[in-house]
Amino acid sequence: METPALQSEQQRPRQTLASNGLVAPVDEIQGSHSPCHRVDGDDSKDGEASGYSIPELPQDIWRHIHSLMPMDEAARAACVSHAFLSFWRCYPKLTLSWQMLCSKAKVGSLRRRINSILRNHTGIGLKILRLNLRDQDSSFPYINSWLQVAVTPGIEELTLELYEKYKFPCSILSIGVRNSLRSLQLDSCVFHPTPELGPLRSLTRLILRSVHITGDELEGFLSNSLALEHLDLYNCKKIIILKVPSVLQQLSYLRVFVCNLRVIENKAPSLSIFTLFGKVSKLSFGEASQTMKILILRHANVVYYARAKLPSIMPNLETLELGSSSEVDTPMLPTKFLNLKHLTIQISGATFSPSYDYFSLASFLDACPSLETWWLDVSQEYMEHESIFTGSSHLRQLPECCHDHLKSVEIIGFSSAKSLVELTCYIVKSTVSLERLTLDTLRGDCRCSGENDSDYCCSISQAFLKEASRGVAAIRKYIEDKVPPTAKLTVLEPCPRCHTSTVD
Amino acid sequence: MASAGSGDEKAAAAAMITLISSDNEKFEVTEATATLSQTIRHMIEDGCTDGGVPLPNVTSKILARVIEYCKKHATAAAGEEGSSSSFSDAAFLEVDRAFLEELEEFDDAFLEVDRATLFDLILAANYLDIKGLLNLTCQKVADSVKGKTPEQIREMYNIVNDLTPEEEAEIRRETQWAFE
Repeated sequence: METPALQSEQQRPRQTLASNGLVAPVDEIQGSHSPCHRVDGDDSKDGEASGYSIPELPQDIWRHIHSLMPMDEAARAACVSHAFLSFWRCYPKLTLSWQMLCSKAKVGSLRRRINSILRNHTGIGLKILRLNLRDQDSSFPYINSWLQVAVTPGIEELTLELYEKYKFPCSILSIGVRNSLRSLQLDSCVFHPTPELGPLRSLTRLILRSVHITGDELEGFLSNSLALEHLDLYNCKKIIILKVPSVLQQLSYLRVFVCNLRVIENKAPSLSIFTLFGKVSKLSFGEASQTMKILILRHANVVYYARAKLPSIMPNLETLELGSSSEVDTPMLPTKFLNLKHLTIQISGATFSPSYDYFSLASFLDACPSLETWWLDVSQEYMEHESIFTGSSHLRQLPECCHDHLKSVEIIGFSSAKSLVELTCYIVKSTVSLERLTLDTLRGDCRCSGENDSDYCCSISQAFLKEASRGVAAIRKYIEDKVPPTAKLTVLEPCPRCHTSTVD
Repeated sequence: MASAGSGDEKAAAAAMITLISSDNEKFEVTEATATLSQTIRHMIEDGCTDGGVPLPNVTSKILARVIEYCKKHATAAAGEEGSSSSFSDAAFLEVDRAFLEELEEFDDAFLEVDRATLFDLILAANYLDIKGLLNLTCQKVADSVKGKTPEQIREMYNIVNDLTPEEEAEIRRETQWAFE
């Protein structure tokens, strides 16, 4: 199609219904558009090749439609017309990464492409900037100028993956930017906010990953971010003491991956979801320990810690997830988690300490009268626990409790470990409310659909396969007949097609 | 004249609003349904809805569809308010999920219209200021250009190419990454 020369002169000619609608001025929003009878009288189903039946859309609406396109589609559409080009010049959500801009090109420089996009972008209307420059150190000297173009008042999300040595320029956080910014994610950079920075009134989400920032600097920044709801810290090595100030009244989510961190002192009163990977020497929650609903912890002996200490510290927990690669036996105690509904315990490893008594986990059944779902992962590559088939087949018993809330129990990596069989028998006998018992003798990971040849289960070692088969045998012999008819037992066995090598 | 919602006896107790389409058809709807439109909400707040709300830019065919959307989503909004306090209750979450799925199915079916109707719905949603409907319908148009060349987009929506070949070549160079 040839370009109409007349129209290229004027960007917004008034048009009739016979041409396209793109250029109708904004004040035409309420103007006449095609009455429906004309559409009805027209037999085209999708408006194709019958342009005059399609009503005009004002430019503002086309701009909105353009802003809803993914970035690559939006860039391609810039070639449609002058109007679309102008939409692209203020496209509101830029993702500038190697994946987006260079992944399909044989040649092409990320720096050149980012430069070209930002040089031509007006900066107006930009709400989201995601810049991912990891491993592209030739871009290093340009970042400041890019941020100056892109980070303007009105911006709502900044997600920057930079370099370890790049110093984030706090000066771009102008008052206008601080008023509009809702989410800030910094990955790999130096960040030294000063107390003079001033308030970030809209910031609700802060994520710092591998960022050089001290505990004091962070505390000062947090004190300026009164709307904060979500704080996520990963591998920030310079933070030794994390103090979350009480002025963060809205903070509900805190996740910390410990690096050199030793002390976490929370005073935010509404914290309800807390995740901690790694161990600290001092952990205090202030008022929030009463309101904490979801707790996720991962470190050595965490199951012992949770059972022994948490009921008194966080009595109102509803969801507890624990992960550990070594444990001592879980103690039987009178303390209870009265509100706990969902329990996840992952105690797995290449070989999990054979001295660990899985049966001691029965302690949780007694401690959690409201428990509804229990997910337990005990998978290990080389099971060295005493098997029910090698030693005494006498099963230990506990006085049966009568649990009437627990509906679903799932055990991943089910083996013939005697103490695991004892635990499972105890759960089955003590839980009158049980509806589903799933025993997965593999690792709970991907399985084939069995439908086509290119679809396979994840491979497993011979040792694992052998133990899985013994796990199945233990279920058949010791557990199956104890499951009440009201509960559905699902046994996930090795796949007859993918896990072919026969095991006796 | 048949009007959507007029036979609903139980709703008569609730405040009803009469909407009048460009072709003079009257639709009686509850206030909860009508106020999904910010435009109508403001009119109600200003007390100028007695004798009906004339909507000279919306035909009866389109207004009927818009009301269908608002009724469904007004119920959804009411449901959300009712269940917000029961975040941790699995039973409520289950109900919410089922309801959201149903709402998604409704939206998908709602968008099964020809292009002209879709554009009329966009214009009506814009005029009536119904954010959810505007986003839903605009997203449908945005999705429709997926994988299309600029030339195909122009053809689909009868957009005149007002760029010179030189300009177009320049833009293509600039956005080359999107064409690779």
